[in-house]
Amino acid sequence: MSTKEHKERVELLQGTLDLLILRTLLLGPAHGHAIAKAIEFKSDDVLQVEQGSLYPALHRLIKRRWIPVQAGTSENNRRAKFYRLTAQGRRQLAVETSKWDKLAGAIARILLPAEQEGKP
Amino acid sequence: MSRRKRMMEDLDQDIRDHLEMETQDNIGRGMSPEEARYAALRKFGNVTRIKEETREVWSFVWLEQLGQDIRFGLRLLRKSPGFTCIAVITLALGIGANTAIFSMVNSVLLRPLAYREPQQLYLVREIIPELSQTYPTLPANLQSFRVWQRECHSFAEVAIVEPSNMTLTGYGEAEQVSGGLASANLFGVLGIMPELGRTFLPQEDTPGNDQVVILADSFWRDRFHGDPAIVGRSITLDGKPFQVVGVLPASFRFPKGAQWGAFLEFPPRTDYFKPLGLDPKQFDQLGEFDFAAIARLKPGTSARQALAELSVIQARIAKDAKEGVGLRAEIIPLESEVVGTARRGLLLLLAGVGAVLLIVCLNLANLLLVRVPGRVREAGIRTALGASRARLARQLLTESALLAVLGGVLGIGLAYFGLRWLVAVAPANLPRLDEVHVDARVLWFTVFVSMLTGILFGALPAWRVAHAEPQPALKAGAVTITEGRPARRLRESLIGFEVGLGTLLLIMAGLLTVSMIRLLGVDKGFTTEHVLAVDVSLPPQSYTKPEQKEAFYDNVLARVRALPGVSSAGWISRLPLEGQEQVDGINVPGRSTTGLQVPVANYRYVSLDYFKSMGVPLRQGRSIEQADRDRHVAVISESVAKKVWPGENPLGKQFHPGEDQTPLTEVIGVVADIRTVALDEPPLLMVYLPAGPAAHGWSGSHGSLVVRAAIEPAALGAAVRGAIRNVDSGVPILHLRPMTEIVSESVGVRRFQMGLASLFAIFALLLAALGIYGVVGYSVARRRQELGIRMALGAQGSDLRNLVLLQGMSPVVMGWAAGVFGALAAGRVIRGLLFGVTAQDPLTIAGVTLVVLVTAALACYIPARRAMRTDPTVALRYE
Repeated sequence: MSTKEHKERVELLQGTLDLLILRTLLLGPAHGHAIAKAIEFKSDDVLQVEQGSLYPALHRLIKRRWIPVQAGTSENNRRAKFYRLTAQGRRQLAVETSKWDKLAGAIARILLPAEQEGKP
Repeated sequence: MSRRKRMMEDLDQDIRDHLEMETQDNIGRGMSPEEARYAALRKFGNVTRIKEETREVWSFVWLEQLGQDIRFGLRLLRKSPGFTCIAVITLALGIGANTAIFSMVNSVLLRPLAYREPQQLYLVREIIPELSQTYPTLPANLQSFRVWQRECHSFAEVAIVEPSNMTLTGYGEAEQVSGGLASANLFGVLGIMPELGRTFLPQEDTPGNDQVVILADSFWRDRFHGDPAIVGRSITLDGKPFQVVGVLPASFRFPKGAQWGAFLEFPPRTDYFKPLGLDPKQFDQLGEFDFAAIARLKPGTSARQALAELSVIQARIAKDAKEGVGLRAEIIPLESEVVGTARRGLLLLLAGVGAVLLIVCLNLANLLLVRVPGRVREAGIRTALGASRARLARQLLTESALLAVLGGVLGIGLAYFGLRWLVAVAPANLPRLDEVHVDARVLWFTVFVSMLTGILFGALPAWRVAHAEPQPALKAGAVTITEGRPARRLRESLIGFEVGLGTLLLIMAGLLTVSMIRLLGVDKGFTTEHVLAVDVSLPPQSYTKPEQKEAFYDNVLARVRALPGVSSAGWISRLPLEGQEQVDGINVPGRSTTGLQVPVANYRYVSLDYFKSMGVPLRQGRSIEQADRDRHVAVISESVAKKVWPGENPLGKQFHPGEDQTPLTEVIGVVADIRTVALDEPPLLMVYLPAGPAAHGWSGSHGSLVVRAAIEPAALGAAVRGAIRNVDSGVPILHLRPMTEIVSESVGVRRFQMGLASLFAIFALLLAALGIYGVVGYSVARRRQELGIRMALGAQGSDLRNLVLLQGMSPVVMGWAAGVFGALAAGRVIRGLLFGVTAQDPLTIAGVTLVVLVTAALACYIPARRAMRTDPTVALRYE
């Protein structure tokens, strides 16, 4: 892994992974590998998620009853566990999203003037 | 739990599926199967850690881990019993000592008096500005009390009490009992409800109605077997019947000794309270300043407001009294007066014992730091297997916490026994000593201190292990020749810190010791060796006439003189160092001084041979002789001569001992000044009158026999006791002890502070020496190779020894310098506890320096000698 590549990839903030999983499941039930793929694909590979760390996050969400598990078959006809969003999970997604927006907005407002000041 | 189990079982399958899918994807991208599998694993991350993290989601995993950590920690501790022993023992000593001292602080300083809202209670004392040079504050007098009661609106209520002694008869052997004479409202002011019966009624304050007593719980249990039927019955005190109206609760304590301030000496035991029963006529003039006055301030009234109001009232009382003196007042929170000077000493001891525990922590941190390199390798393996840093740090902290808990448990045991010993050796005049015990607050303190200790000595090593780079440690056979500079510097600074604290403690202990030596060497004005002192009290019902008392004293003296081994004997009304009594003016006829402006002296009544027996040197004139009993003559102390007749020959001069109407008394001799109250208080004015019915003011109700022995005075005890019994077996003997014991009791608090401080300081020094030895020894062991190379290159053994000594001593010297600096800075804190020595005493500091440096040099020298004996071939072969 080159240094440049390393720098362009971003480590996830604590709890952000939960939000990304919920968001991915909004499109429909998916199994673990598919969720990982979706997150990578949609972020143009900028977000570097260790695929394994998906599992503790999934179990956290299951424990909170936001995503139940159901058995199903994957696209290449293998048996796999599918995760689905509950109504409670949907509400949580809305809450988390608005929280995220606020946070991102706040950080942006802090960073923006500094950038402008930096310009000659 | 079943849900968790099912989820965890599924997880393995899920991960396998996941990896399989990823591998398939990779193969689809054109990788070889093997390559594809590796790429999938890399992308997935550490499988073990992922599983661990997932398990944490589902469980009380931290509890499981704690169990694991504890098991693992215990196994490790078992594997190095030497280290574990040293750690647990030093911790137990440190924590135990802290617990014991804290129990004393808790009982003596922190636990409020068992009175209602004790912070509202104030002691009121009076000040006569003209006398404040000699007597800064005085107890209250009756007239002031009555005026305060009537006019002071800041006080919700005010009560007075004075010490009292009576003889109890009718219950076995006659016994002198002690207690207080109080205004009827005393218990109301203190907020004390009786356990049985009632407290005093307002009408019991008047004469005739005052033949009632309230008993203290301990007295009631000891003497009346805790019989509740005693209430309402009558007991005989001083030959008169008193009705018992109540029994106080067991928790009730009454301050004793001088805890009410100067000139008030309450007995060590409070057995009873009786109403004062005062004639209202006694309130009409300023009487004796004899009473402890306790005021309860109205809620919301500040001490300052109360004092302001009181000052106005006092000024008016002084004006009305027409004594030609002013009158002011002082109010002191009761609790702080009771605790008094014990506070500073105890807090100092607590700080000292805390410093000892800190040294214990530093030592253990150092011992653990030495083990860090070994642990780093283990940590490296565990990190590789998927342990997180936090998990590693937690493991190490659990180990130190285990040590702390073991030390704490053992420490509580030590404190329990140590406390018994402390209470046994502590001076009896330490306030509330009898209440010292281990309570819930003390236990919480110990738990807290143990945990803090564990974190304190465990944090640094844990942090270092968790943050060490695992790779170098994992390289097989990697031997670092010299230790990293930062690691060594860290351990050296810990040593420096230890030595600094040890030096500070030693200087403090040294100063206290020097004070003690100076104090005992002070010119007391009398000799203590070979002197036996016996206090008796004559029961008033059988000794009603002064002549009877005189006969008793004479008869005892005749018998005692005849005893073999007695060289002389005499009586005095109150022994030196036992406090003030019979304080009255020295009125010289023709002097314009009036009323309270006259010099005030302590009057004592002595028999023939008292000065000889006590060894008080005669400076001028002659001593009291047999024929003086019927004459009005006096022997005065040197201070009296200087104060009353400066520059004149006092012999033949005359004065009234008290008021003008007292008989004119002639000075026949001058004796040396003596220490009346305590060794560290300057001598007071003393006047000695011949004891006997002719002497003005002689009551003769109690006396102290002073026996000078040619042999060991304690051996005379039984014979003297027998002689008194032979004269009258109904006279209780209160105390019988050598004079040396009285002196040693009078410095009890200092001796206690000095003893404990020295104990802590020596412990601290030994710990520091142990730490130095450990660090230097370890560094020699690690540098064997380097030393071997140096030797092979031509260094002499002595060069190596000096090298090790130099490196070992450099943190010691830095620590010592810091300690001396700290002691100089802390001088202000300790100054109040010193006597005859300044806090910057160069001799003490020099002595301590010598002790510290020699001890440290010894601790360095043992391993340094080992370095000198390094065999270069062995050292080089070691590789």
